[in-house]
Amino acid sequence: MRCLPLIWLFLLTACAGRTLYPLPGKGGKGAKLPIQTSRPYNIAHRGSNGEIPEETAPAYLRAIEEGADFIETDVLSTKDGVLICFHDFTLQNTTNVASHKEFADRNRTYEVQGSNMTGFFTFDFTLKELKKLRTKQRFSFRNQQYNGKYPIITFEEFITIARDAPRVVGIYPEIKNPVLMNQHVKWPGGVRFEDKVVETLKKYGYGGSYLSKKWLKRPLFIQSFAPSSLVYISNLIDSPKVLLIDDVTVLTEDTNQTYAEITSDVYFNYIKQYVVGIGPWKDTVVPVSNNYTQAPTDLVKRAHAHNLKVHPYTYRNENEFLHLNFSQDPYKEYEYWINEIGVDGLFTDFTGSLHNYQEWTSPLSETSKSPRQLLSQIAALVLPYEKA
Amino acid sequence: MNRHFWGKMRDQRIVPKLFARGGTSSQIVYILWVTKTGIFVKCLIWLSLVTLCTGRTLYQRPGKGVKDAATKQPIQTSRPYNIAHRGSNGEIPEETKAAYLRAIEDGTDFIETDILSSKDGVLICFHDVILDLTTDVASRKEFAGRNRTYDVQGFKIPGFFTFDFTLKELKTLRTKQRYAFRDQQYNGKYPIITFEEFLAIAQDAPRVVGIYPEIKNPVLMNQHVKWPGGKRFEDKVVETLKKHGYGGAYLSKQWLNKPLFIQSFAPSSLVYISNLTDSPKVLLIDDVIRPTQDTNQTYAEITSDAYFTYIKEYVVGIGPWKDTIVPVTNNYMLTPTDLVKRAHAHKLQVHPYTYRNENQFLHFNFSQDPYKEYEYWIKEIGVDGLFTDFTGSLHNYQEWASPLPETSKSTRQLLSHIASLVRPYAKA
Repeated sequence: MRCLPLIWLFLLTACAGRTLYPLPGKGGKGAKLPIQTSRPYNIAHRGSNGEIPEETAPAYLRAIEEGADFIETDVLSTKDGVLICFHDFTLQNTTNVASHKEFADRNRTYEVQGSNMTGFFTFDFTLKELKKLRTKQRFSFRNQQYNGKYPIITFEEFITIARDAPRVVGIYPEIKNPVLMNQHVKWPGGVRFEDKVVETLKKYGYGGSYLSKKWLKRPLFIQSFAPSSLVYISNLIDSPKVLLIDDVTVLTEDTNQTYAEITSDVYFNYIKQYVVGIGPWKDTVVPVSNNYTQAPTDLVKRAHAHNLKVHPYTYRNENEFLHLNFSQDPYKEYEYWINEIGVDGLFTDFTGSLHNYQEWTSPLSETSKSPRQLLSQIAALVLPYEKA
Repeated sequence: MNRHFWGKMRDQRIVPKLFARGGTSSQIVYILWVTKTGIFVKCLIWLSLVTLCTGRTLYQRPGKGVKDAATKQPIQTSRPYNIAHRGSNGEIPEETKAAYLRAIEDGTDFIETDILSSKDGVLICFHDVILDLTTDVASRKEFAGRNRTYDVQGFKIPGFFTFDFTLKELKTLRTKQRYAFRDQQYNGKYPIITFEEFLAIAQDAPRVVGIYPEIKNPVLMNQHVKWPGGKRFEDKVVETLKKHGYGGAYLSKQWLNKPLFIQSFAPSSLVYISNLTDSPKVLLIDDVIRPTQDTNQTYAEITSDAYFTYIKEYVVGIGPWKDTIVPVTNNYMLTPTDLVKRAHAHKLQVHPYTYRNENQFLHFNFSQDPYKEYEYWIKEIGVDGLFTDFTGSLHNYQEWASPLPETSKSTRQLLSHIASLVRPYAKA
């Protein structure tokens, strides 16, 4: 009889007591390592797609493991209006759709930005159908061993990956091909593609202007090649937006404007009310001749003069992507862009390499490090003495 | 000097120049002046000749850097050696002066080269026994008839062989970049250099830079080139090194002044020269399927413990092909073999070859990142030196991840102790 209260207490504790470790999926209330804001952002372009097929959960998990500040994705839509993470509007380059006999008749031709394109378009498949597919590595010279393993993920699944990370990891979604999406997919209530993107972000608590307290908890940049989409959503969400800029010969998909026009001072004056930065193709920032970089243009200078950040794309380790000045060395490329050109963020396929470079040459201040990280740093410093 | 003398001096334009020297010269001039002018002119010429022949120039002459070795920044010996494989050949055509100068600029510890011979027995820096792949020889009409086929280590190889060309002829050729995916802009610019020119490059460096020459294809060289006095290819190599002051056991004072490793795939050549020079030697080891060119021994044999016990009398280390140390499957590395462990147990250093930045040479474990490869080989495998085509990248890695100590020895020992204490945390 005397044991009863004890048993009761025991049961109560077992059922109501908290575990000592933080539960998964709950992120930890403010105990997470915050995002760094003191050196250029390391943006994992499509996740660690240098190693794992792009825009899959493992590619994003790997990027977080490797130290990315932001995980980046492209948002497209399915036939039934579900937002997915996928770069191409056709499926054949990065999935095994071509080997699915049941979808053979979905190979169609549509006009996209003035050209006729043939393929399996995302908006011709429901989410259920897309989930049957498996992704593959886009480039043949990258690791093929994960081909056929991972499915396409939804935008919400992507957000969850960021939210569940053991430290604060930002997201960098792109409103991709909005003109095409709005053409082929209709949402109830006349809601547009851009509305759905913002709606999803808000649902997960994203919002807040750049570097605000709210933003630092859930860092976010919304990017797009379509300026009108960014202007459109400026009323819906105050999160920082970035205007992507294509090659010098390409016109904007929505407003049909030239490169020269949207990189002019006049345009910067206008667009800076809506965006915090630009994301140009790096070979337009510093032109190239015979695979050697030439004198930089004044693009970065002028953007900075307008208080616009510059996040160029895309940095890749493979020598075919490295201009000869860099001696086939991706770290020399990072060094040039960060120290000489002074960019504010870099879209990279190899977030681990950029992280290494930054950790070695511009380590973050000690206050943000745990005792274990400090000891790790000391270990690296004194390791050479061990051999002496 | 009286006024009479000065008056006469001013009249003559040449004399003021002599006064610039002052002192004894002026007095001599005065004495000569008061005698006959003809004698004066003769003595002037004589004096000038004496000055020209014996006086030192104010600038340092090339190839004389030797005397200043003591004041040069010494070679580092506290972290694995950065060996510029054929110079910075990732950027500039291999084994040219420009490639070696670039390597020194890039921070290398050692510049590496391969020694072959010309027809007239001059030692040159060149890797292939044929000229086809890295020179413009094929476009030279005057040499069209030199395309021949010889037996090389059991294989019939056609091409333009170095030992079919005199040095003078070789010097008319121009080198080119071996790999199509590397910088082609220097093709046709630089000549082949001699071994002695290579040595001068090292000696003239602004800091102490070691050399790492390979006695290349000695069997073939001795077959096709004869030196007077029955001298062998190996003799000529050592002779040249000694002529330029190289010698001394590993880490001796003499060695630190002029660091040197002599490498070869031919163990008998290294054994042969062990009587001629006490410089440290390194046995290169080819792929698992290749027998040694001189003794016809297998990989298994020359990497056995028994062999290590024997060869360590003659060499300080081995230079294996890195994919035999850590085998590879589907472009992924597997578990390392015990080669490095066993070599180290025999106090043999390990300097694997060759590290290259291009992703086609990087195994997938390294995420197309050459620095991750350096990190693995230095931290996990623990090699003592690395032959790299990209000495600048290795230098960056080492400078960022393990910068050289600035401190004195006692502090160094203390830090070594701390290192062993915190080492486990490095992987956490």
